[in-house]
Amino acid sequence: MSPLWLSLKLAACVASLLLVIAMPIAYWLAYSTWRGKFLLEAVVALPLVLPPTVLGFYALLAMGPAGPLGKFWNAAFGHGLAFTFGGLLIASVFYSFPFAVQPLMGAFESVDGKLLNASAVLGASPWRTFRSVILPLSLPGIVTAVVLCFAHTLGEFGVVLMVGGSLPGVTRTASIAIYDQVQSLEYGQANRMALVLLLISFAVLSVVYAVNRHAGRRLWTPWAAK
Amino acid sequence: MDAVGREITAMLQVRVRKSRRGAGAHRQPFVLDVSLDFPPGITILFGPSGAGKSTLLDCIAGLLRPDTGSVRVGTEILFDSAAAVNIPVHQRRIGYVFQSLALFPHLTVEKNIGYGIAHLPAAEKQRRIDEILSAFRVAELRRRKPAEISGGEAQRVELARSLITDPRVLLLDEPMTGLDDDLKALIIEDLRAWRTARNIPILYVTHSKGEARALGDHCVNMHSGTAASDIPHLSAGSSSGF
Repeated sequence: MSPLWLSLKLAACVASLLLVIAMPIAYWLAYSTWRGKFLLEAVVALPLVLPPTVLGFYALLAMGPAGPLGKFWNAAFGHGLAFTFGGLLIASVFYSFPFAVQPLMGAFESVDGKLLNASAVLGASPWRTFRSVILPLSLPGIVTAVVLCFAHTLGEFGVVLMVGGSLPGVTRTASIAIYDQVQSLEYGQANRMALVLLLISFAVLSVVYAVNRHAGRRLWTPWAAK
Repeated sequence: MDAVGREITAMLQVRVRKSRRGAGAHRQPFVLDVSLDFPPGITILFGPSGAGKSTLLDCIAGLLRPDTGSVRVGTEILFDSAAAVNIPVHQRRIGYVFQSLALFPHLTVEKNIGYGIAHLPAAEKQRRIDEILSAFRVAELRRRKPAEISGGEAQRVELARSLITDPRVLLLDEPMTGLDDDLKALIIEDLRAWRTARNIPILYVTHSKGEARALGDHCVNMHSGTAASDIPHLSAGSSSGF
């Protein structure tokens, strides 16, 4: 598999996995009244400020043959987790976590509480309120979350380097391939792949901003003050 | 006996105490402490803002949890702190029209009105929607979104959305704020007609003496979390009053 396809596959897997994982967490963060909530918010935001090497280092420790995740994986699937696509996927999910949780949480919080009360008073269970009111009104935030996770995973380098190594077809993503090509002075090849990544990233971000504009309000992006 | 029996079972009995931390201008802690019986018919809740009218409605609907006390409709207990009973909001079957409009912005008028009766078979649901759309003279708006209708129309849709669920108690928190007098008269007419068809307690919060006079069978004056009522007080379970 070419590095570019691998990158796209990884990004698509991360985005869809995170949508499922981040949804309940964002819901809980948006509506819980627990006082210690800020602690979990800080944990969720950690990958924004941590160097990818730190995250990658701990991921590697956890996934290694002696780490808890590595042991579990070995027992369940009969092979290790480090330097595999699965391992890369797990580390990438952690790395893009805030990019899924924060836009979703922002979108959930911006749904007028009075509509949630109205829904409950009209006999709707919390689950139905989530499906019929919160989810449709949060659609721009959901699109933002998916697209940002996709783009962010496409652009990751440090984590992939730490956890994935550079095994062709398995963990050698586009960003790693570019680095390798530059190291071996293949500037032409590096240039081509860099340009493709640039164009894809631009297209993806255009979608985020178009959706935000269409929604008539600014949703969360990592580059704008909330 | 039948008529008397029905009236007694439909009675809403509220004994609640709820303290809230200070909010608003004076930041004084506020305590709602009332013991009220609401018979079928329209009871006006009257009083200055901050008197606890909305807090009382929230406690009845289940949006707020009283510190102590009980809320019951007829023989059914909705809340009882002593017995640790607290029926969730969505299972209480209490209609509530909020002070500010709360139509779902992403749904059409028709879908908004049908929201509370989603469990009914499709044909029956459609029949009820059509019926109430024309009763409230909003049938021509059925395909529009809330942003595309006027404030007065939204008010009527909101009322229709609550009434269609056949609530056993109806709470109206200043449902006609900001409407002109003609529209008010129309809606009051709708409400009166509906009230005679269904014999349930209706609590109506208003600042307007005119609305109070036009609608109220009874009046409860609230002040600083306490209430004075002109309703003959019934002790729970007693039928001697009627």
